Amino acid sequence: MLSPRLLSSTRCRLHPTSSGRYIHNLDTSLRHRSIQPPKPINPQHAIYLSKSTNPYFNLSLEDWLFRHKAPDEPLLLLYRDDPCVVIGRNQNPWKEVNLPALRVREGVPFIRRRSGGGTVYHDLGNTNFSIHLPRTSFDRHMTAQVVLRAVCSLGIDATVNDRNDICVGKEKVSGSAYKIVSQRAYHHGTMLISTQLNTLGDLLHNTKDTMETKGVASVRSPVRNLQQFNRGVTHEAFVDAVVHEFNEEYGIRNVDGEVQIVSEDNCRDIEYIQNGMSELPSWEWAYGQTPEFTYTVSQAFEWGTVTAKIRSKHGIILDCACSLSVADNSVSSISAIQPGVVDSLDPQLKDIERALLNRRYGFVSAMEILNSLSINGVDDETGSGVRAAKDIALWLERTMNS
Amino acid sequence: MFTRRLQGKRFLVACLHTSRRVQNSRKVIEKFKLADIGEGITECEIIKWNVKPQAVIQAFDPLCEVQSDKASVEITSPFDGVVTELLVQEGQVAKVGSNLCLIEVVKEGAIGISPNVAEPVNTSSNPDTNSLPTIESEQESGSSKEFTSASRRKHPMDPTFTPDAKSNSPIFATPSVRHIARQRGVDLAQLAPGSGKEGRIERRDIDDYLAGAATTKAPVALQDDQDVVVELGRTRHSMWKAMEKSLHIPHFGYSTTLDLTTLHGLLPSLNANIPPHFLPPSVIPTLPLAVSPSSVYPPSPPPEIPPSGQYTRLTYLPFLLKTLAKSMFEWPLFRASITTTDPSSRPTLTIRPHSDISVALSTPNGLYTPTIQSADSHSMYALFSQLKYLSHLGRQIPCGLTPKEMPKRGGTLTVSNVGAIGAGDFAAPVLVPGGGVAIVALGRAKWVWDVDRGDGSGERRLKLGVSWSADHRVIEGAELAAFVECWRGYVENPARLIADSV
Repeated sequence: MLSPRLLSSTRCRLHPTSSGRYIHNLDTSLRHRSIQPPKPINPQHAIYLSKSTNPYFNLSLEDWLFRHKAPDEPLLLLYRDDPCVVIGRNQNPWKEVNLPALRVREGVPFIRRRSGGGTVYHDLGNTNFSIHLPRTSFDRHMTAQVVLRAVCSLGIDATVNDRNDICVGKEKVSGSAYKIVSQRAYHHGTMLISTQLNTLGDLLHNTKDTMETKGVASVRSPVRNLQQFNRGVTHEAFVDAVVHEFNEEYGIRNVDGEVQIVSEDNCRDIEYIQNGMSELPSWEWAYGQTPEFTYTVSQAFEWGTVTAKIRSKHGIILDCACSLSVADNSVSSISAIQPGVVDSLDPQLKDIERALLNRRYGFVSAMEILNSLSINGVDDETGSGVRAAKDIALWLERTMNS
Repeated sequence: MFTRRLQGKRFLVACLHTSRRVQNSRKVIEKFKLADIGEGITECEIIKWNVKPQAVIQAFDPLCEVQSDKASVEITSPFDGVVTELLVQEGQVAKVGSNLCLIEVVKEGAIGISPNVAEPVNTSSNPDTNSLPTIESEQESGSSKEFTSASRRKHPMDPTFTPDAKSNSPIFATPSVRHIARQRGVDLAQLAPGSGKEGRIERRDIDDYLAGAATTKAPVALQDDQDVVVELGRTRHSMWKAMEKSLHIPHFGYSTTLDLTTLHGLLPSLNANIPPHFLPPSVIPTLPLAVSPSSVYPPSPPPEIPPSGQYTRLTYLPFLLKTLAKSMFEWPLFRASITTTDPSSRPTLTIRPHSDISVALSTPNGLYTPTIQSADSHSMYALFSQLKYLSHLGRQIPCGLTPKEMPKRGGTLTVSNVGAIGAGDFAAPVLVPGGGVAIVALGRAKWVWDVDRGDGSGERRLKLGVSWSADHRVIEGAELAAFVECWRGYVENPARLIADSV
């Protein structure tokens, strides 16, 4: 396989194809040097390569091609994303994603995709492939073989494991997910070429053992980059290899085999894609599609231990059962010191539970909780009851944000 | 009350076709099973229902999303109907083959033209055809799946694979319709586009195609000395049902003759001045123009007229329709339709601003009544063009009439030009529910000696017998008589029409 030559100006790419043809993909504005509207894209071709690294765009483009291509014909899409975490359709972001670590990294979002499966991390060292086929002839093993052959042609001794992921030895280099609708199905997946694996490990680190969630849990596996096996592997080489194997497998010839380069400019007028790009980051999709889960947490305070069992579905808190156990190993003098605390806490706990009802999980601030507490008639001379309530509220806010 | 009927003879002139009245229907609860998704998957978790109980859905609407390990699957509804019960909740796991939900489907006994109601799934004895979508699996990995149909679609890499020649236009049909087509050996490409939503091929398209194919075969020679049992076809049966319903309507009749002599005299002049866009291209006279009306500014272009709407000679019918529309304008009662929504309250009539007239069309497929909307706003030439177009559509096999020509609303009056078929003098047409408040049958014009004219010595006049039947719940006898006199005032004195256009 020839390694592609990249001109110093990255606007022009020459891709060798299986028949030795070179395809020029000049950026239209460069070629014409005048204001030319970008050509609108047509979903009836066979091979697409996205120039955009906007994950919202790429996912929406994939969905649009999926829904609009003629149902009987195969299609291949390849793309790369800026750093982001992508969770499966039916996953729980609070369980799967290390949200505090994510928040620290500015500009790295998490996105829920439309296909099933587990959580992955994308960055520019990772290339995504997406193979669309008519539903009746869709076979995930066959599509995995296409990608496997592409990887092997890069000089890497890869195999497919029993979960249909591509591995080298015991380590995964690719994860897959699928989507099936009435006429079409797709197999899409990642390919780790030169990803920042420590970032991956950090962002996907899960510590919430006490969060029980319906929906699909990720299956954790150790991962490696292709470049760790062959330094010469690049995004471009992988793209060429996949295009070649795809053409061979599905008998794509000539004009159909020409790779369509797509950027966001080509799709500005496509409402479907624009709608998709605005739907993906919305709360209703990103959080509101979370299946039911229960999170049981405990925290010891000076005056006792609070256990909260929060139940949420579709991102909304259904109920929160708080129970208080006074520290019984403490010196009895503590209870003596703060006599009113326990008494005043019980109704406050009930108020806190009520305040959380029907709120969005992870989007409630301690202030909001406290503001909705009623002033109960129990005397709280020392103010410790209020302080305790504040502690609890802050703790709950922190818990849900973690 | 003023009634007049021919003794003994009920000459059925026009049978109004009622389409969207659901006749003989029964509601059946269909169980929708989780189909075999393929790939060896045995169970799935329901992620999300897209419908709630009591939601109305149509075939192809998204029903729910399920997930199995890494595959997210979108399941669409196979039926049009109402979801009555969700049997598996979100978050629960369902095994392949188990029931997901119950859908209430309307099954009609025999169906006329009812394109809005898709035929429900064929409830054959094999219960598996109810679960959708069934998959003809092409997996070469050797997984053991039974093929539900005889003809597999070939994998593109199969050496004997031949791609479709015309694959540009997709053929839309639900899997159940495809199954029936396969069973009966019908190529769906022949039927595309179908009569369903967005060109979908419906089951009745297949039935019509086969019925059409059947009639082109030579009919079986009848034994002369044996009784033959014939079952009524779909259109005939719907006529049967409509007529049974018509018994609820108290009819009364009224007949008279109209004098068409003056109109007859006008016809040559009208024929000579048919606007060019209604003339067939071969007939348009190409006179070299010394001066053109378009020299300064072209007049607005005439509308596109299909060849079936072009003609060279008018008949009396468009004139009678136009004058009828004008009379309807003066008589709002005849622009009314019965729109009682609540049977317990007082009946209501809805008066329309325009005259909608339905025309009885007899075709090889059966009797239809397409509607001419706003007949008062069309010129006579345009009316005739529309009539020709409608009869052309109706006489196609299969019938080319669509809901656009036969809207749900229908007309408020119906006209049946039976005189074109036979030299009838009078008739007693039958009104059907949804067919307006009155119906008129036009006989055949004939020359008679009218002794009332010509200063007592008589004159030869062209007379046309017209017979009305009206719904006595709405129209009084005297009102109908007066309306017909109003109509006569236009028909027998066409010069009055000039006054309106000047």
